[in-house]
Amino acid sequence: MLKKISISKISELAAALMDKGLLLAPVKEISGHNFVEIKDPKQVDLDFHNTIASPKAAFFPHKEDFIKYETGKPIDTASVVALNLPPTFLFGARPCDVKSFGIMDIHFIASGIVDPFWKQRREAAVIFGYAFDLEKPAQPEEFYQTLGIGAADPEGSDIFMVKKGGDLLLNSVTPKGEKILTELKILNEGKAADKKYYDEYIKKGKEYKTRSMCLEPGAITKKLEDLFQNTDFWNRVSSACISCGVCTFVCPTCYCFDICDDTLFGHGTRRRVWDACMFTDFTLEASGHNPRTHVYQRLRQKINHKYSYHVRKYGVISCVGCGRCTKYCPVNIDIYSIIEDAMKA
Amino acid sequence: MTDFRQIENNLKKEAKRLLEAGEVAVVLAYGRGYDEKHPMPFAAKTIADVESLVFNEYCNFNMASYLMRYPWGTKIAIAAKAADSRAIIQLVQEEKVRREDLVILGIPAYGMKNQKTNEVVDSKTTGGLYNPVIYDILLGEEIHGQKIVSPYEVLAEYEAMDKEERWAFWKSQMDKCIRCYACRKACPMCYCDPCFIDQNKPRWADKAPQSPGNMMYHLTRFHHLAGRCIDCGECSRACPVDIPLYLFHKKVAKECEEMFGQAAGMKLEDKPVLVDFRVEDSDKILE
Repeated sequence: MLKKISISKISELAAALMDKGLLLAPVKEISGHNFVEIKDPKQVDLDFHNTIASPKAAFFPHKEDFIKYETGKPIDTASVVALNLPPTFLFGARPCDVKSFGIMDIHFIASGIVDPFWKQRREAAVIFGYAFDLEKPAQPEEFYQTLGIGAADPEGSDIFMVKKGGDLLLNSVTPKGEKILTELKILNEGKAADKKYYDEYIKKGKEYKTRSMCLEPGAITKKLEDLFQNTDFWNRVSSACISCGVCTFVCPTCYCFDICDDTLFGHGTRRRVWDACMFTDFTLEASGHNPRTHVYQRLRQKINHKYSYHVRKYGVISCVGCGRCTKYCPVNIDIYSIIEDAMKA
Repeated sequence: MTDFRQIENNLKKEAKRLLEAGEVAVVLAYGRGYDEKHPMPFAAKTIADVESLVFNEYCNFNMASYLMRYPWGTKIAIAAKAADSRAIIQLVQEEKVRREDLVILGIPAYGMKNQKTNEVVDSKTTGGLYNPVIYDILLGEEIHGQKIVSPYEVLAEYEAMDKEERWAFWKSQMDKCIRCYACRKACPMCYCDPCFIDQNKPRWADKAPQSPGNMMYHLTRFHHLAGRCIDCGECSRACPVDIPLYLFHKKVAKECEEMFGQAAGMKLEDKPVLVDFRVEDSDKILE
């Protein structure tokens, strides 16, 4: 089902979605766009390339409260935090980011140990994917083409959106998406010409140029396994790394977390908070032993997890080529160049 | 000003000479990144590495942060712009590095740019200086006649705010913080191991990126840098969400300078103001 709306009326569409539930959409903040829970429909801004943080926080928030308790009180007075989620609309996620949700589903659902928080959030959500603007060139850090992801791939979205001049075309991809499109009375019917434009746009998206190399998952896995003991290689590629957590925090497929307790004036919360394998204390054990004390070991872990261990275990590379890690790295470490170097090494 | 291309050539020439003569084991400078606009901090250890050295307007990194990765006695050549040279002095004062281990390759420069916004960042990063305060070899001509901007000029707007407005300003800024700790890691003066924020006995602040913990982290870090911040602006540059941390550091630096008559990292023989006591020190803090 294809519908359309003028982009000038985007705030009206936002208001209609807010009537139905929670709306997460790109908002222009001081430093760039980010997905934010919309309070005022006028905030929604589709004039962006990609957001600073990936939209993974929609399903895997930076902090997630699990249990509330009072210190000094019996354990049965503690309560599990219930989510009670309204329908959630994730509006305007780029194809590479949408692809990341499928990869994250492996860890949080398909691996067998279901994370109820991730699962409930995923089920409550309707994803409005949004094609990159094919008229504009890709950013220098992006490389999703390398990972076989097009700039206008609708897979993974419930509704996929494409810009056509001053209009926004919305096409349903799943029955869930179709239901929402039917209910949104503010939308107009798409015409045959719109359908043709949409189909061609999706096709053209496959050809959209980002940085690209021939990357066969099996080959890179093997290569990285062979390189594991090559300390010179890892020291060289990590020599600039300052061990901050920017790359993992903006990454759509990084999912490591820490569970910690926080008490304030007797009120306690047990929650999970994002953690980063680049932090020095990430692998610090209670004994005081730390198996990864060197920078090179930590960067090696990150690269191997995404391009080697993950492929061995689940068959897919855990990277979607959005390029955020490269873009926001304070010292310009580029994961693409490291993979390229590894293939040549 | 010597143009950046010439500085790059001089850097390569000196690096090659020092490595060939065995005078240093490593040259800490800037190397090629994935494109022109994105150079990287780079440690050249062989003659072959020298070809990868670059210098352009995006080489903002403060290489002094990398000095402490090498044990005392390792001979290191380090490329240093004005603020970086102050970091070196401060680290020598704090006995983290030894002056005799270093060959400082001074770089006089202005017009350095932020790679994300292309904006000229001198007012945020040079500490009002264009020439390195200390050097052994200068890679370009000293800059004279360029308008000297007070390092505290950018504070005007901030200082115009009253107490409540400042609190509201920092609160809104701290709310953006994602606790990636890039500011601390990019800072040449943040070398504590462990950092107070990573301790869990006692735990000084909450680990989640939310208001009280964020404020605790940043305010403590601000104060740990009082009289030590050398105004390189690396914390703000590293921040993925553009928190203007330099404003607070500059404000504290300004007050320290007014109270103790000494800016951080300006003279090798100085002592950091907060570890030194002089009878004539200001009592303003007690008033």
